Amino acid sequence: MDQLLQVLIIGLANGLIFALVALGYTLVYGIIELINFAHGDVFMLGSMLAFFLVAPTTNGGWAIFPISVDTPLPLLIAQILAILAICMTVMAVINTTIERVAYRPLRHAPKVAPLISAIGMSYVLQNIGLVWGGAYQRTIDSPFPNTYLLEPLGITAIAITPSQVFVGAVTIPLLIALSWFVSRTRQGKAMRATAQDPDTAGLMGVDVNRTIAITFLIGGGLAGAAGVAQMLYNNYTVYTLGFRFGLNSFTAAVLGGIGNLQGAVLGALIIGEVNALSDRYLSPNWTQAIVFGVLIAILVFRPTGLLGQQLADRA
Amino acid sequence: MSASTTTIGSGVGGWFGFLGSTLGSYPGRYRKALKEHRGKSIGLTLLFLAIVTYPVIGHYVISNISRTVVPLPYPDDTVSTFMMIFAIMAIGLNVVVGFAGLLDLGYVAFYAIGAYCAAFLASPHFGALGINLTFLGNVGPGAAGIHLPYWIIAVVAIIVVATFGALLGAPTLRLRGDYLAIVTLGFGEIVPLFFKNLSSVTFSLSLGPINIQLQNANWTGGVQGINPIDPPFLPILGWIFDARSGPMAVYLGLFLLAIAILVARNLELSRIGRAWGAIREDETAAEMMGVNTVRTKLLAFALGASFAGVAGSFQASYLGASTSDFFDFSISILVLIMVILGGVGNIWGAVAGAFVLTYVDKTLLPYIGQRIGDIAPSLPNPAEYNFLIYGIILVIMMRFRPQGFLPSRQREAELSVHGLEEADLAMGIEAPELDNVSVAPPGQEETGGDARTPEVPGEARDL
Repeated sequence: MDQLLQVLIIGLANGLIFALVALGYTLVYGIIELINFAHGDVFMLGSMLAFFLVAPTTNGGWAIFPISVDTPLPLLIAQILAILAICMTVMAVINTTIERVAYRPLRHAPKVAPLISAIGMSYVLQNIGLVWGGAYQRTIDSPFPNTYLLEPLGITAIAITPSQVFVGAVTIPLLIALSWFVSRTRQGKAMRATAQDPDTAGLMGVDVNRTIAITFLIGGGLAGAAGVAQMLYNNYTVYTLGFRFGLNSFTAAVLGGIGNLQGAVLGALIIGEVNALSDRYLSPNWTQAIVFGVLIAILVFRPTGLLGQQLADRA
Repeated sequence: MSASTTTIGSGVGGWFGFLGSTLGSYPGRYRKALKEHRGKSIGLTLLFLAIVTYPVIGHYVISNISRTVVPLPYPDDTVSTFMMIFAIMAIGLNVVVGFAGLLDLGYVAFYAIGAYCAAFLASPHFGALGINLTFLGNVGPGAAGIHLPYWIIAVVAIIVVATFGALLGAPTLRLRGDYLAIVTLGFGEIVPLFFKNLSSVTFSLSLGPINIQLQNANWTGGVQGINPIDPPFLPILGWIFDARSGPMAVYLGLFLLAIAILVARNLELSRIGRAWGAIREDETAAEMMGVNTVRTKLLAFALGASFAGVAGSFQASYLGASTSDFFDFSISILVLIMVILGGVGNIWGAVAGAFVLTYVDKTLLPYIGQRIGDIAPSLPNPAEYNFLIYGIILVIMMRFRPQGFLPSRQREAELSVHGLEEADLAMGIEAPELDNVSVAPPGQEETGGDARTPEVPGEARDL
């Protein structure tokens, strides 16, 4: 039972990282009905950038923010915030550029054209990662001590580490901020209007192109944050990470109901748990097949997902 | 589910029906074509002869020219064989994507199944499980494992893969567009995973008389794959046609490719081909007009997949090995790029795209990389970053020439009609103007009597 709880906590932390990426998929799909195939690779580049910022020069990194277990807490937090800011900004710019170059010119083309363009873009980014980071896995030592936070309170059954707290501290505020942005701000209203009907939104004075660009900006920023979380929590990245991770996140977005923000988070948490449980109790070899099985089953039996609205025409 | 099982049956049966009708009607069709388009037919015949005599001419003439006159490397026999394999795949994917308009991102699954058909049926692999069967094989009697001749395997691969095509296609029938693409992608990832992971199966079942006990049974060879696989061979008058290497493999590939082109051509012109076109244009309208969409789409998946079965079984027999890592997502994308480059919906475009891209991938890029390495070893090797180049090609193609370099006339017309529609909408003009636009361009009649497509878009609008 203790072991199960432990597996669930690991799944939760990974699920939160999935959630950040899944939101990027669901935002873009919600607004222009495009499966942004390149999104997982933006996440990969984010983790790669985080690696280079953190890793010591002996490990091939730039050691700009050389955080380690010995860094005092305030300095650690300040440096992590700086890494987050850099990665989120760079990935947001990259994602917006991709939209401008590869998707915007195809706004009125048949629907598969932007999808194929996105696949092409995915390969471009993957190879940038290959050129940049090499063909092997890049790892760092965890900057967080491997202590159990609940032990002083007398709870030994559940082991929560500082790195898991870090994942929560990065992802949960971002999720809340996004939710606030989309539901409360003027720009969020424009996004929702564009998602419902771009033509009508345009007639009502919404700058559709700008709204779509902002959507990609937000998605890229979230992917960048997820990349930082991946690097500092799971401590590794590799140029092919985006494909696998991206498909997990996309599955999460579909599971929750694509286009639905809360759904994406819920789906991501479920997919995180499915991953952790399958890794632990079945075999890591089959995890990917199970995730794809889940994806296919949802698309076939309930294309609207768990929380999605009626999208019969889209499916 | 009963509906889909009957359609699966008709899928496999239909395949042989088409094969039969293809071979039967070809001489008449050829005579008619020759009468109507003498110039084009002579050109094609010359091209065909050039290709068939290639191994002889290629080895002695063109390879010298390529070394001295044209500074391009010459594809060796292995690359040429792979050109044929990928051309067959591209034709098959073109059936699914081009004819029926169903974007399939998991085509590699069928390629893998075809390859493992050959691996299971012509290798010592199952000897370890105590299954031994040799029939007309080119190994001595009593050899361990199953050994069937390639020609039987090719037929088995077609049937098995077509069945899997229909099986995997069945759940996607309700899906459209990008959801369909993702589900096929999922299958394309799962199938090689099965081949990779089923290397130590422990399984026990005892139900009355049935008693199956498996302890760490190695079904698929796991990561190491299965080898050696018997090469395709054909004993003619004591002469053994060994297509393991050399120009013989190219010939065998050419032979299979020629059949593939013939079958695809006749499929396109047949009743089912027109049904695919109707579904591609407007599924709802097609259904209204009496097209059985379930059956038609399943047939597209099954028939399209069967080409990959031939290609996969040929590849495994030719290489003598089948490993699960070979079959990854990038193969699906590579074949898709071939189809898109050549022109979606055009058989010759798919073949040309496959030839060019295989050549670039396996000969030209390594050659350029070698040259760059000779001059400046510090520069990156383009052969290692081939998918960077292909990715850029995909983005640029979608942007500037989505119909491909050799588009089918019909596709070109559709794209221009869509363009008109967009232009009209942008100008605020209503759709009725469209009725005056001829959907078929003036040259449409040339493609032969059967090829005239129902003018779906224009007609449907009148309803």
